[in-house]
Amino acid sequence: MQSTSPSTGLVARVDSLTKQYGSTDNRVTALAEVTLGIRAGEFTAIMGPSGSGKSTLMHIMAGMDSATSGSVWLGDTEVTHLGDTELTLLRRRRIGFVFQSFNLVPTLDIAGNIHLPFELDGRTPSTDEQGWIDQLIDSLGLKDRLRHRPHELSGGQQQRVAIARALATRPDLVFADEPTGNLDSRTSREVLSLLAAAAHDYGQSIAMVTHDPIAASYADRILFLADGRLVSDLPRSSASDISRFMLEMEAAR
Amino acid sequence: MKGFSLREHVPSIVVTALSSAFGVTLLLATGAIATSLRADDVTGSSATVAFLLSFIAWVFIAISVYVGSVVTANTFATIIAGRTRTIALLRLIGSSAATQRRAVAREGLVVGLIGAFLGAAVGIGIAAALIAVGLALRVIPDLSYSYFELPTVLPIIAVVLSTWLASWVGSRRVLTVSPMAATGAAQELTIEQARARHGRNSSAVILFLAGIGILLLGVGIGLVTPLGVLVGMVGGLLSFTGLVLGAHLVMPPVLRLVGRAFGHSASSRLAAENALRYPERSSRTTIGLVIGVTLVTMFGVALESYKAMLISAVANDPAYYAGIEQSFNVTIAIFTVITGFSALIAAVGMVNNLSLSVLQRTRELGLLRALGFTARQVRSMILAESAQLTVASVLIGLVLGTFYGWAGAQSILGSMNGIGTLVPPAIPVPLFLVLIGAAAALTIGASIAPSRRATRVSPVAALAFE
Repeated sequence: MQSTSPSTGLVARVDSLTKQYGSTDNRVTALAEVTLGIRAGEFTAIMGPSGSGKSTLMHIMAGMDSATSGSVWLGDTEVTHLGDTELTLLRRRRIGFVFQSFNLVPTLDIAGNIHLPFELDGRTPSTDEQGWIDQLIDSLGLKDRLRHRPHELSGGQQQRVAIARALATRPDLVFADEPTGNLDSRTSREVLSLLAAAAHDYGQSIAMVTHDPIAASYADRILFLADGRLVSDLPRSSASDISRFMLEMEAAR
Repeated sequence: MKGFSLREHVPSIVVTALSSAFGVTLLLATGAIATSLRADDVTGSSATVAFLLSFIAWVFIAISVYVGSVVTANTFATIIAGRTRTIALLRLIGSSAATQRRAVAREGLVVGLIGAFLGAAVGIGIAAALIAVGLALRVIPDLSYSYFELPTVLPIIAVVLSTWLASWVGSRRVLTVSPMAATGAAQELTIEQARARHGRNSSAVILFLAGIGILLLGVGIGLVTPLGVLVGMVGGLLSFTGLVLGAHLVMPPVLRLVGRAFGHSASSRLAAENALRYPERSSRTTIGLVIGVTLVTMFGVALESYKAMLISAVANDPAYYAGIEQSFNVTIAIFTVITGFSALIAAVGMVNNLSLSVLQRTRELGLLRALGFTARQVRSMILAESAQLTVASVLIGLVLGTFYGWAGAQSILGSMNGIGTLVPPAIPVPLFLVLIGAAAALTIGASIAPSRRATRVSPVAALAFE
């Protein structure tokens, strides 16, 4: 168990994070006193069955939802007390997203989608940043697709565009929400290898929410959530080990 | 399908009520004027004048019903686009496309009935108030005026039927919804493209060119005799019909040009793309406003040109001069109010359309917020979309209206001071300023409700909605 690692080397962490929904008499607890940290430069998987609170955890860490109590840190920034505009800027500059349903802007072409985070900031990428973007476009095989619209691309290609968009600003942390949920198994393997490579080759910190043991087997570290609590913290494991662990966890309940 | 949400149809009800109130008020008011003229028949021409008045009233009623139908058809098409998922689900369970479409048309009939009768009641009230004011100011003689005549039913029926028809036309898309859309496989809305419909495109172009040719012929004949205006009118009607038919060819390029003028920030670029996303839809939204602005401008420019010419003719007689100036200003004001009504109906349609298109983009707005679009950027994007639609329609309307107005004035007046006088188009500056001011107000007004809704979109809720 390594959940008590020192706060240095952590890109993001939550401390006694609780999230409740509903009124006093009809309260649902999505997260109960969760404390964990995401290590810099690692590919971390957050796993758990439906309703375990993994999506809520991601939304709160990404500054998209508010916490009921506890604190949330991105680097040295306390996220919990930021206002809407500060949260927006935080998401724009320091966080990247990859979603299950790709979520590209349909009216923009591929180049426009990749450059969107810079455009939102009202600036053009610097020479250095543009070099990085070109490298991403090259390595993700999107060079011939730059002038296409998202609906002209296959699911796997759209997800690669989303990955390029998420990595383009070199954010502190990329959140991937079930990134392979809408893809076939071969394309899924491609996308997962790309995410793993981004962590190992470029030191990009990535947190991926998933319930797929195969997807989680690509990660350096696997955090398990159940009923709103952190129940386990595993190092890199094989898909069969993860599956076995999940079945045991289910049986123990 | 019973129990549809009436709330969705409030804007359509407003549009139908406006058309019906306008028709009823105009008929009752002209009826009252005819009655008062008959009582004081000095020249013995009251029957002719009454006929002319009701003829003019009917022309304007027809125009407002037409604009109202274009707007309603567009609104229904937009509502259907938002219901694609539900319709697909019902199709999946086994409902036929025809049944679905009939249900939508039934909604159209209900909307038409509610709107027409509400509007009729309001119209009778306004006419009664006008007559009461006229009596109090002793502008019209103290006679018994009728507040309801048999012909008054006609605009009500016309509004109900045209709304019904418009909902039928607007629900055409129901037929193309595939049951597959319910399975969630179709994630994004299908792009409604201005498909290549060669028949419609070529007839639009032919109508427009032939119309312009006949209009210029009328101007030419007008150099010899004022009867040239009759030829010109035919040309004007033909060319304008061509333009309305071919709106999907004209509006998108103009929208694109106007969109480019707003600069290159992320919000204005996205806004420009959004206005062009459904070329058919934005053409239909803007063409109503184009019709309205063209009509207002046309009467304004024609009357102003006529006034300028008369004034130059009586320049040596200051007493005459003042009289002409005043009576013309009153006439321009009356025509502006009457023609402006169609523009008002079109404006309601535009507000509604922008609202619906923002509502249907909830998920995308959530994505933009998640990626770092501030609330202010979302607001300026929607304001830019609104401005793009208004600026494009008002520009086209002003140019067209000035041309038609000049052609009308030229063909009537060209032969007046001897054969072959050229009448320069006179611009009614105050009217143009009012139009531009109204356009600015419309731009801001149309963006308020959608911006408020859009900035309230929570990224989590929007992205969770599959």
